[in-house]
Amino acid sequence: MSASIAHEVNQPLAGIVTNGEAGLRWLDRKEPELGEVRSAMERIIRDGKRASQVVERLRALARKAPQQTALLDLNEVITEGVALVQREIQSHHVALQLDLARDLPPVLAGRVELQQVVINLMMNGMQAMEPVTDRPRHLVVRSFAQAEEVFVSVQDSGIGIDPENMSRLFNAFFTTRANGMGMGLSIGRSIIESYGGRIWASSNDGAGTTFQFALPARADGAS
Amino acid sequence: VSRGPQPPRTAKALPVVFVVDDDPSVREALSSLFRSVDLQVELFGSTAEFLQHKRPDGASCLVLDIRLPGVSGLDFQAQLQQASIRIPIIFMTGHGDIPMSVRAMKAGAVDFLAKPFRDQDMLDAVAAALQRDRQVREAEDAATSLRANYDLLSPREREVMALVTTGLMNKQVAGQLGLSEITVKIHRGHAMKKMNARSLADLVRMAESLGLHKPKAHQA
Repeated sequence: MSASIAHEVNQPLAGIVTNGEAGLRWLDRKEPELGEVRSAMERIIRDGKRASQVVERLRALARKAPQQTALLDLNEVITEGVALVQREIQSHHVALQLDLARDLPPVLAGRVELQQVVINLMMNGMQAMEPVTDRPRHLVVRSFAQAEEVFVSVQDSGIGIDPENMSRLFNAFFTTRANGMGMGLSIGRSIIESYGGRIWASSNDGAGTTFQFALPARADGAS
Repeated sequence: VSRGPQPPRTAKALPVVFVVDDDPSVREALSSLFRSVDLQVELFGSTAEFLQHKRPDGASCLVLDIRLPGVSGLDFQAQLQQASIRIPIIFMTGHGDIPMSVRAMKAGAVDFLAKPFRDQDMLDAVAAALQRDRQVREAEDAATSLRANYDLLSPREREVMALVTTGLMNKQVAGQLGLSEITVKIHRGHAMKKMNARSLADLVRMAESLGLHKPKAHQA
């Protein structure tokens, strides 16, 4: 699903970039072709609107989800997510460590959406470790409960994140990867926040980054 | 009905860039970019539309989205190869998929660009693709006209050509074929003229391209 979303946003963005570049080339000609520049700019505006409509639809999609909420065991969500990225874990030569607390209180959320968030965090961690060759590629997924909240953290030993980028990580279209769309974390934040939770990142003492989210704990059987 | 020696095809059609992408935003933007550097462009929303279109005589290349409804860009690349339609392909992809790009490049793609790409990267890729197509076409034209010229030779002239291009003197050729030296000279002159050969070295190179000296089977 995330691939098709990326495709849908990426098409108008590619159009915008190319129209902008083409417009500059028409301007830079010996005899600037203003008619062509105007058409390029009109297409830029049209494509920009289209991209923002796609993002709007995504937001609506993320908001609509509470229909399918249920009391969930986050450990199950994590183990199912791990099963889905098993191939990537192997192909990235990553050592995965699961550190899951017993007897976690449940959280109220959409299972598929939370899985999407967990998978996205694991994929990000693996991608951050792609350039690493001089130390183990270690991915640690933890769960624990603390003060009425259930936490999930994903810790990598990757290349880390510049402090100046930390605050923008969860913004739509912000990415540090050449091929990244900058959608994964921003969608993740919409999902977590729609269930009353929070998501953040911090640099490890050693190498790499830790992403975590926390969701309100629900007593068993509560609404 | 006399056919003279055929000169190489000279009708130089302008190069054309074909764009196949199901998204009008990308198509129109690419059209503008290519036209801004005076390249001719033809746009298509699907591979089927592209196949229906007549391909020109001049150099051309195909800028192809890898994700198309119906048939994927990679499958289409294979289809073109099966149909012996040779056109250099530049792939565009929405997400940098490394296994896909490796497959595309192995199957002969010129380049693989992730959207959004830099305009200069695209223009460089197109220039390289057109250059490649031009070279292929020139080589094909040269081979075709060489073969056509060779077809104009009489059986005797072919024999003389085959022998003189192995390095034999006229006298030796005459001996082998049971002809007079002067007759060999005349046949040799005709052969050179029909083949448009400027020198014996030129004729030797043509004999090699035509494969005249391959196995011994050619000894009459």
